[in-house]
Amino acid sequence: MKILLIEDDAQTSAYVAKGLREHGHVVEHSPSGRDGLLLASGGGYDVMVIDRMLPGLDGLAIVKTIRAAGARAPVLLLTTLGGVNDRVEGLEAGADDYLTKPFAFAELLARINALARRPPMAEEAAVLRVGDLELDRLKRTVTRGGKRIELQPQEFRLLEYLMRHAGQVVTRTMLLENVWEFHFDPHTSVVETHISRLRAKVDREFAEELIHTVRGSGYSLGVSR
Amino acid sequence: MASPGSFLRSTSFRLLAWYAVVFGASVAVLFVIVYLITLAALDEQLSDSVERETEVLVELYRTRGLDSIVRAIELRTAELRPPRRYYLLQDAAGKRIAGNLPPMKPVEGERVLPVRSLFADPASKPDDPADSHPVVAQGRDLGNGRFLLVGESRYRAVKAREAIVRALAWGIAITVLLAAAGGAALGRGFLRRIEEINRTTRSIMDGDLAQRVPVSGGGDEMDRLAVNLNAMLDRIQALMESLKRVSDDIAHDLRTPLSRLRHRLEAARGRTGPHGDVVIEQSLAEVDAILETFSALLRISQIESGARRAGFSEISLERVVSDVGEAYAPVAEDRGQRLKTVLTGVPLIQGDRELLTQMVANLIENPIRHCPADVDIIIGLALEGGSPVLRVADTGPGIPALEREKVFRRYYRLEASRTTPGSGLGLALVKAVADLHGASVELSDNNPGLCVTIRFPAPAAPQARIPHSRR
Repeated sequence: MKILLIEDDAQTSAYVAKGLREHGHVVEHSPSGRDGLLLASGGGYDVMVIDRMLPGLDGLAIVKTIRAAGARAPVLLLTTLGGVNDRVEGLEAGADDYLTKPFAFAELLARINALARRPPMAEEAAVLRVGDLELDRLKRTVTRGGKRIELQPQEFRLLEYLMRHAGQVVTRTMLLENVWEFHFDPHTSVVETHISRLRAKVDREFAEELIHTVRGSGYSLGVSR
Repeated sequence: MASPGSFLRSTSFRLLAWYAVVFGASVAVLFVIVYLITLAALDEQLSDSVERETEVLVELYRTRGLDSIVRAIELRTAELRPPRRYYLLQDAAGKRIAGNLPPMKPVEGERVLPVRSLFADPASKPDDPADSHPVVAQGRDLGNGRFLLVGESRYRAVKAREAIVRALAWGIAITVLLAAAGGAALGRGFLRRIEEINRTTRSIMDGDLAQRVPVSGGGDEMDRLAVNLNAMLDRIQALMESLKRVSDDIAHDLRTPLSRLRHRLEAARGRTGPHGDVVIEQSLAEVDAILETFSALLRISQIESGARRAGFSEISLERVVSDVGEAYAPVAEDRGQRLKTVLTGVPLIQGDRELLTQMVANLIENPIRHCPADVDIIIGLALEGGSPVLRVADTGPGIPALEREKVFRRYYRLEASRTTPGSGLGLALVKAVADLHGASVELSDNNPGLCVTIRFPAPAAPQARIPHSRR
């Protein structure tokens, strides 16, 4: 994957670039907003990671400019402040996701993967299928191997999110933000509890486990290779 | 404003009462002096008048003889009506030659005679009320046994004295009334300004540090007090702001080096052997806890700044509460606690969904984390007197009454909860979010346990029906 990183903090960018390269990605880095905008306008990136606060040109302005120019590549915005308005502003400017610094590398990687591999059609697909698991978004039913599984509304949303990102790692934070709309870190095991309940319904009675725990990162739903 | 009862108890009323008493007493003393001096002057005037008349008649007798004095006396007694003068001219035998008084024993010099005693015969008693007053008389021996007496009734002096007493009585009454009215007006003004200061200090205690005591501009002591109070408040506010800025700055500035530290620890993971990895994992957890505290601090600061209000939209508290309740119900269940959500319809409110979600989550996490198993946690949302009221009640150990106010402070943690993880900022954030929405937060005893009540302001009626608010 070809990734553009616009980040002025040398340490952060070195660490991010190194990590992404280790995971087999091609990284181009610009420490300044203006140079970054030039690179971004050139196109050809699968994902762009842009810092919100940049010398010269603000990260928000870059996103707005490239979106106005018609660039479609997904953008992940990095925010430094515990800014309560940063997320809304970033999404309104045209960013696809945001991540508050400091972040665990696994979190960044999971989000980049989720952005890059977002299959455009799956968003609209009425029925999601992973192995013998089937989720009907219109009828709001779930079956596995033809057997009906009854889920609570939040369990349904959790499974739906996992299935939409099947084969990818989704982090705890991604689940909190997208399933529960929690934009903070709860002090209790909300995610773990719901995952374990979902597992009990989706996996327990079946031979193959579909919901996997990815140590140090999060969860992944898929058929084992 | 102060009630009548508090007015009677007030310092300014006591001041006013003393003021009226002292003022009235000094006016009374002044009036007594004026009265005595006036009386003396009137008496003196009367004696002078009698003496002058006597001199005139004596002079007339000496120069013109008996006939002319008799004529003069007859003329005067004939024409003079009140203020009445009395005359008596008698010979050596004690027989009256002229005048309007019966003969008497001749006594020289000035005397005060009761009129009644002069008239031996009750029938000849004067019927004019003016004649019932004592008479100031001057007796003069004219030689040859002839005796002249000139007298003047005190009637006018008495009338004048009565008039003066009446005037003084009215004067004192009016003075005391004026003193009371003026004092009351002054006292009210004084009370009002004291009350203004009290009101200001109350709203400052409620957290509105921008409040100032109004200054009337008269430059009096109250103004100087107000100016000094305001200067003190300015100073306190500046100190608090710089303190807040410093803590925000520290939180902000330490985030960057901590982020780098976190990156380094992550990069080192997996390269130091299994023992090193354990240390790194623990260090990462510590760094994350510090970073989370800083995040929460910055977040509270930003919420308190009110900037977030610009993003308010119409939201359903019911949705927020039921979503958060649903998210936490299995968490509580796994801990052996019972979480129940009781919702009744409330109107939509203007608010920030993200912050309210976090607030409700904090409120629910509190009992889940700090209460033992087998407690009931009840989340209620209901309309009370037009206001949406959110209640989170538990049957756990509760909080001692004395500590209830303190739990809203940043970093405050109950002794009992020091061992459980957390930043100590949870309820501070709840308070900040509630304040942002104009809601009040109240902790009370749930007998047993704790009950947290968030009372939102009653939403404006039309706003609740307009789907898209202008804001």
